Amino acid sequence: MQAETTLAGANAKATKSASRPLAAYMYLLRNIGKTAPLIAVITLAVLLVAGIVALMDSIPYSIRVIYSYSKTALGISPRWDPTQTPALRSVVIKECPVPIERLVTCRASSAQVKSIVGKWPFVVLGLHQNDMLYYLHRLDGDKIVGRLPKPGAAEALVSEPVARNRGLKIGSDLLSPTDTDNYSPYHVKVVGIAETKEWIMVTDIEYLEANQFPAVNFLLVFAPTPQQQGKLDHWAEKRFKGSHAQIFAYHLLEKDTNDMFKILYKILDVVIGTLVLVITIMMGMLMNIYQSQRLVEFGLLQALGYTKRQLLRRVTLEAVLVIVGGWVVGLFMAYGLLLVVKATLMDPSAFSLNPFDPTAYTYTLPIPIAIFAAAVLTVWLRFRNFDPVGVVERRLV
Amino acid sequence: MIQARGASLVYYDHGREVFACRNVDLEVRPGEFLGILGPSGSGKSSLLYLLSGLKTPSSGDVAFDGRSVGDLNDEERSKMRLNDFGFVFQQPFLLGYLTAIENVTVATVGKAAYEEARELLDRLGMGEKSHRYPHELSGGERQRVCVARALLGDPMVVFADEPTASLDHANGSQVVHLLNQHRGSGSLVMVTHDPSMLAEADRIVELNDGMLASGHQATEVATGH
Repeated sequence: MQAETTLAGANAKATKSASRPLAAYMYLLRNIGKTAPLIAVITLAVLLVAGIVALMDSIPYSIRVIYSYSKTALGISPRWDPTQTPALRSVVIKECPVPIERLVTCRASSAQVKSIVGKWPFVVLGLHQNDMLYYLHRLDGDKIVGRLPKPGAAEALVSEPVARNRGLKIGSDLLSPTDTDNYSPYHVKVVGIAETKEWIMVTDIEYLEANQFPAVNFLLVFAPTPQQQGKLDHWAEKRFKGSHAQIFAYHLLEKDTNDMFKILYKILDVVIGTLVLVITIMMGMLMNIYQSQRLVEFGLLQALGYTKRQLLRRVTLEAVLVIVGGWVVGLFMAYGLLLVVKATLMDPSAFSLNPFDPTAYTYTLPIPIAIFAAAVLTVWLRFRNFDPVGVVERRLV
Repeated sequence: MIQARGASLVYYDHGREVFACRNVDLEVRPGEFLGILGPSGSGKSSLLYLLSGLKTPSSGDVAFDGRSVGDLNDEERSKMRLNDFGFVFQQPFLLGYLTAIENVTVATVGKAAYEEARELLDRLGMGEKSHRYPHELSGGERQRVCVARALLGDPMVVFADEPTASLDHANGSQVVHLLNQHRGSGSLVMVTHDPSMLAEADRIVELNDGMLASGHQATEVATGH
C-alpha cells in the first residue's frame, strides 16, 4: 500500500515536471551546481554591503542611543557670565510656550564612555535628591540595584548600559583623581545601578558644588509630554539664539549628527557604488558565460518554434529567481551575522548596533537591480542576432 | 501544402555570394514521404531550412498552406514551426537536464502532452527509459526520443535533416522506419545522402550544387509507394 502511494507520488511529480519542462525553476533546480555560485556571489555582495553600512550606521546610531536622555529634558547653560542662570530661569518661566512639569537647577561634571570609534564625553549630572528621583523616574530608572548617592558624598549612580560600557560595578570608581579622562579630586564610587536602557550618570549636586570647576549652574526643563518637550526645545533654540546661553536639545544633537556624517555617507555612497559596479560587471560576465553554455538549448528551442521573446522571458525569469533568491538569502544572512556581531562583540560593551537597520538593507537594493539590468542586457544582446540554424548545423556548438 | 517557387538561398562568404539553393521549385504534398537526396554540400539542409521556415528565401518564395513564409514575421514563423511542424536534426539534440519524456514534451506543454509523449515513447520502444536522462541513453535511443518529440502533437509536416547521420545503418534504418510508421497523416520530408534510407519514401528529389537535378524541375524517382 505504502509502495503504491510512493509510486503514485513519484508519477504525479514526474507528470508535473514533464508538463512544464521549460519552467524557469526546472533549469535552476536541475543545474544547482551552476546556479548556486551565482546565488552565492549575490548573497556575499548583499552581506558585504549590508554589513559595512550597518557598522558605519552604528556610529550615529550610538550617538542617538547614548545621548537619548536629552529627549526628556531641555538643557540651558549660561555662557560668559555664570551668574546669569537665575535670569535664564526667569525667561523660561515667563516665556515658555508649553507647561513646565519641572524646572531643575543642576551642575555637571564630565566623564567618558567608550564607542567603537574611541572615547566620547558624557555628562555626570549633579542633582538634588528629589530632582534625582524625578530624573530617574523620567528615564525609567526607578528600579535601582544599590542606592542613590548621599548628599555631599563622593558617590554616583549609573545606568546599566553605562556600567556595562565602562565595566563598572557597585564600589567601582566612576571618577578618580588618577584618571585623566574621568577626573575628580576624590574617588567617586558607584553606589547604585539603575535598570534602564537609557545612559545615565548622576551624583549629588553638593559634591559637585564643593569640588567641581567651573562653578556653573545650569537648567533642565522638563515638559509633560514628548510633543510638548519637542515644542519647548524648538522654542528655546530660537529664543536663546545669539544670547549668552547654550542650548542642549535632542533635535540639535540629531542635526549635528546628520551634518557630521553627511560627508561620511557621501564617501560611503561612492564606495558602495563602486562595489556594486564591480559586482555587476563580474555578474554580467558570469551571466554571459552561463548563457554561452546554453547556446545549444536556445538554438534547439528556437528551431523547434519557441520565439525569441519566449526564450528571453524564460531566461529573464530565471535571472529574477537567481537574483531575488541571492538577495533574499543575503538579507537573511546579513541579519543573522549582525545579530551575532551584536551579541558577541557589541552588547558586552553596550556598543550600539541595529541588526534591522533599514538603511543597511536599503543600500543593498542597487545590487539586484544592477545585476538584473546587466543580465537582461547580456541575454538581449545574445538573442538579438542569434541564428538557431547555426546550432542545429553544429556551427555554434 | 508547402510550395517552393524559384526559391534561392544566398550566403555571403567574405562578401562573395554563395548559392546554397538556386531557383528551387518543389512541392510537399499532404501525407507524403518526400526524400531529398544529394551529396554533402549539395544544399539539402538549406532547402529543408527554407521549406520549414527556419530560413527565408533570398529570392523566390516558399508558401505554407498558401501563405508566403517570407510575409510572416519571426514570431509567426516560430509559431508555425511549433504548431505545424516537427523536427529531427542530424545530432540527437536533447536538453541534458531533462528526462526523455520531459524532452519530448518540450515541443508542446500541458498534461495531455505528457500522456501523448508517454504513449509515443511506448510505441517507439522507449517506455521503460522515459525517465532517464540523455546521458543514460545510447545514440539510437536519443534519436528515438527526438523522433517522439517531432511526432508529438501530430504535426502536419515532420522535417528530418540527416537523422541517421550519427547512427549505424541498422539504427538509422530503424529510426527512419519509426518516423514513417508513426507520422500518421502528416507529411515527412527527409534529407539524406544515403539512398538506402529512402527505401520507404513516396517520392525522392535529387539536389546538386543547390539545384534540383534535371534543370530546375524535380527528378521524381518512382519508389513504388
